[in-house]
Amino acid sequence: MTLSKMCIIGLLCWAGLTGQVSATTVQFFGWGGSPQVNQYLQWVSKQTQARYDITVNHVKLADTSDAVTRVLAEKAAGNLANGSIDLLWINGENFAAMKQSHLLLSDWAGQLPNFALTQPDKNPSMRMDFGVATDGQEAPWGKAAMVFYYNQQQLSSPPTSLAELLDFARQHPGRFAYPLPDDFLGISFLKYAALALNPTRQQLLYQPVTDHALTRITQPLFDYLDTLHPLLWQQGEFFVRQASMLQQLFSDNEILLAFSFTAAEIPAAVSRFDLPKATRTYAMSDGSLSNVHFVAIPFNSARANAAKKVANFLLSPEAQAYKQRLDVWGDETVLAIDALPAAQQKLFQVQSHSSALAPGAYQKLLAEPHASWAPALRKAWYARYGARL
Amino acid sequence: MGFTTVLSLARYLFYIILLVPVAVGVVGVMLPAVGFFPALEQHSLSSEPITRLLAYPGIAKMAGLSLFTALLATLIAFIGTVALLAQFYQRKWLGLIQHGLSPVLAIPHAAAAIAVAFLLAPSGGAARVSAAVTSTALPDTDSLMYDSFGLVIVLALAIKELPFMLLMALGILSQPSVKQRLEGQMRVAQSLGYCHQTSFLKIVFAQLYRQLRLPILAVLAYASASVEIPLILGPQNPPTLAVAIVQWFNYTDLSMRFQASAAAILQVLVTLAAVTVWLIGEKIWQWRFCQQLASGNRRWGSVFVKLLAGILLVCFTLATILLVLSMVGYSVAGYWPFPDLAPVQLTLLHWRSALQALSQPISNTLIMGFVSTSIAVILVLLFLENEQQSDIKRASTSLADKLLFIPLMVPGVAFLYGLVWVRQWLFADALWVPVILAHLIYVIPYVFLSLAVAYRQLDVRYVHVASSLGKSPCQIFLSVKLPILFAPIMVALALGAAISFGQYLPTLLVSGGRLATVTTEAVAIASGASRRLTAVYALMQMLLPLLGFVLAWWLPTFLFNPAKRANASAKRNPAC
Repeated sequence: MTLSKMCIIGLLCWAGLTGQVSATTVQFFGWGGSPQVNQYLQWVSKQTQARYDITVNHVKLADTSDAVTRVLAEKAAGNLANGSIDLLWINGENFAAMKQSHLLLSDWAGQLPNFALTQPDKNPSMRMDFGVATDGQEAPWGKAAMVFYYNQQQLSSPPTSLAELLDFARQHPGRFAYPLPDDFLGISFLKYAALALNPTRQQLLYQPVTDHALTRITQPLFDYLDTLHPLLWQQGEFFVRQASMLQQLFSDNEILLAFSFTAAEIPAAVSRFDLPKATRTYAMSDGSLSNVHFVAIPFNSARANAAKKVANFLLSPEAQAYKQRLDVWGDETVLAIDALPAAQQKLFQVQSHSSALAPGAYQKLLAEPHASWAPALRKAWYARYGARL
Repeated sequence: MGFTTVLSLARYLFYIILLVPVAVGVVGVMLPAVGFFPALEQHSLSSEPITRLLAYPGIAKMAGLSLFTALLATLIAFIGTVALLAQFYQRKWLGLIQHGLSPVLAIPHAAAAIAVAFLLAPSGGAARVSAAVTSTALPDTDSLMYDSFGLVIVLALAIKELPFMLLMALGILSQPSVKQRLEGQMRVAQSLGYCHQTSFLKIVFAQLYRQLRLPILAVLAYASASVEIPLILGPQNPPTLAVAIVQWFNYTDLSMRFQASAAAILQVLVTLAAVTVWLIGEKIWQWRFCQQLASGNRRWGSVFVKLLAGILLVCFTLATILLVLSMVGYSVAGYWPFPDLAPVQLTLLHWRSALQALSQPISNTLIMGFVSTSIAVILVLLFLENEQQSDIKRASTSLADKLLFIPLMVPGVAFLYGLVWVRQWLFADALWVPVILAHLIYVIPYVFLSLAVAYRQLDVRYVHVASSLGKSPCQIFLSVKLPILFAPIMVALALGAAISFGQYLPTLLVSGGRLATVTTEAVAIASGASRRLTAVYALMQMLLPLLGFVLAWWLPTFLFNPAKRANASAKRNPAC
């Protein structure tokens, strides 16, 4: 703890000294557990140095909540203008906590020139983080979305909507499964189904849950699941506990259709022989549940302007296209590619793996419902389909 | 400090380690069950956790499932043991079977469950073989696994229990005094025209059972509260009680701990019920069997035994071959689509990535196994030496033999959580000491069972000769007894290490997940994305203990062999 603190202080002194001489250094705090991400950020730093004379220093965190605590401590200590963090990789719970404690800079993300490329009016998820409005406190960086995958040798045309999924299950009983709602992917499937089955009532899901709203939303959901469950793997009597089990069942052809929240993991699993070569990834036409990860600027950042420049660069088609390359990171872009000029669209058209999701395959992104819905849906599911442990 | 002081200290320490953690743990679980849990601001007693538990949907089914699977598995293993013994007693095959089954004993429960899953899954080894005959393209949608009666749990438990019972029985039968008497009686029975199997059942079995009862009950108790096997193979709606308890204790909502504690108490009752049912069944059988004993029927049970022993042997051998083939196959498999009997290509990728990820868990496993087993063996040796020297030999012997089974009888889920709670306020920062202590609770009984027979059989004349030559008890212990017992001590070390390797719940709970071992990693990865990696982990789990046993068998012939040193013509080593 003390050692890492000293390192950071040392880094900051160094950054301060060199800052006076030449370039500005933006302190980018973010989870450092992935070599791909770390390498990508090194590339970003080189680019911003060449373009804006800004160095990006990636301070690798084991847990993003450490950064939240740091900013909170700085605020408590009266450090209001010279904070140690300039840019922070964040989403979900940590964002909600920081927003609630007023720890983030407001109304800047919407003004970034490249933010418009995300077409935020068509993609509400660019302004919503797990059902909490971002209020311009964070700029989208990348996204994860639910993708489905199938084995081309076993299945010629996979279902492309929730309704077709039921037809698929009727044709191939026992060949689809979803995990228990305790699992992240399991509850995600329920959220996707709730959104897809309630096209006219979707806005209910973006407000805090009420008993009335829950009844209205779950009625079509449970009707659907009542029909689906007997057609599931193990006749819906046994649900896998972990999402990763789906991949195993799929690779053994026990199920013919599976889904994931990390599109890049599918080609990776194919390379590891854990999935068959004929695996193909695609997105549903009635929407893909997605959550976006963001970058935010703490309220007390000393180099907020430089941080904004970096955030804007992270949103540029070039940076987004490079990030999306499977050999780099494989993280999905937040830009609306269709709206880009043809030359820039081309940047994204590098398909290096036949099992990977085709660029621009998402037809419609569904933002995460308000955070209160997950526990409510989970509880309702268990009440209806029995306790499973 | 004199040798006698050391010995009596060891005796007290032995009892303390066996009993205190279990007792403290049970109390630590009972308090929350009646609503007392200061850490969660609950200081008054209430019956709410119990009423909430009893109102939980499916709780009776959970308890029933635990009871049913444990009893059926133990019964199957028991009948199998008796059939194999009756068929092969005093025959060459018995030695072969003993050697074939010993490795199964060393396999941790988690690995056994994973192996059974590999065999029985709709795309597993058995299905592939049958698909090769029927040329099906897709795995069956109906699966043998996760059935709501827990029959796969029964199968896996029986596979694990049978070798233990058989080896315990062989240990009893090999005691010289017993062996000699039984051999004579068998000869008499056969000369009276009883066929071999019937003589075994009517003569040996009747005498063997009394001594085998306690190990059987321990197996039964363990099965009724086992976690790994039903977690990997069992149903979830509802699961067995022990699995539910583990899930409830792991809930993020801390208030579930009250219900979990109440369920742990229920688990103790379920275990007691299983033991009671077994004892009642024993009485009924005794009554029926007594009539048979004197019926004069010369061929009673012989056909049944022959048939059963044959079927068992064939099934066991086939299953083992398929299991090993499919696990080894997966661990080096590239693509391996369903109906194919062999992988499309081979790769060492999985072994490489597993060894990389496992270096820390392997070293943790080895340290835990080495330290806990060494302590256990030293303690047990000192305890046995104390027993031989003291006058209270008889009473102490039978008492120790019974107390030994307490940690094996009290369900782990019932006292380990209580132990965790106590650990948190006694040794909040210690990590290794509590884990090793928890391992010792399980390692000591097995080390004792394995060493006691050899130690108590040691020819006293060696001691008398050494004493008459002026050696002190300490000198005799160190330079006469221990060298003679070198081989059994090595086997006890290997067994202890194998038991330590296999501990899942004690390691996970007491270390709070901070010390990963091969076993905890294997259980975690069994539900993961890669069947190939799972195969590697499970194989590692089997190889580590096997390595221990191979060392234990090989070292005595190589490193230290008093018989050899005193020329091969010397008298046969009584410990062998």
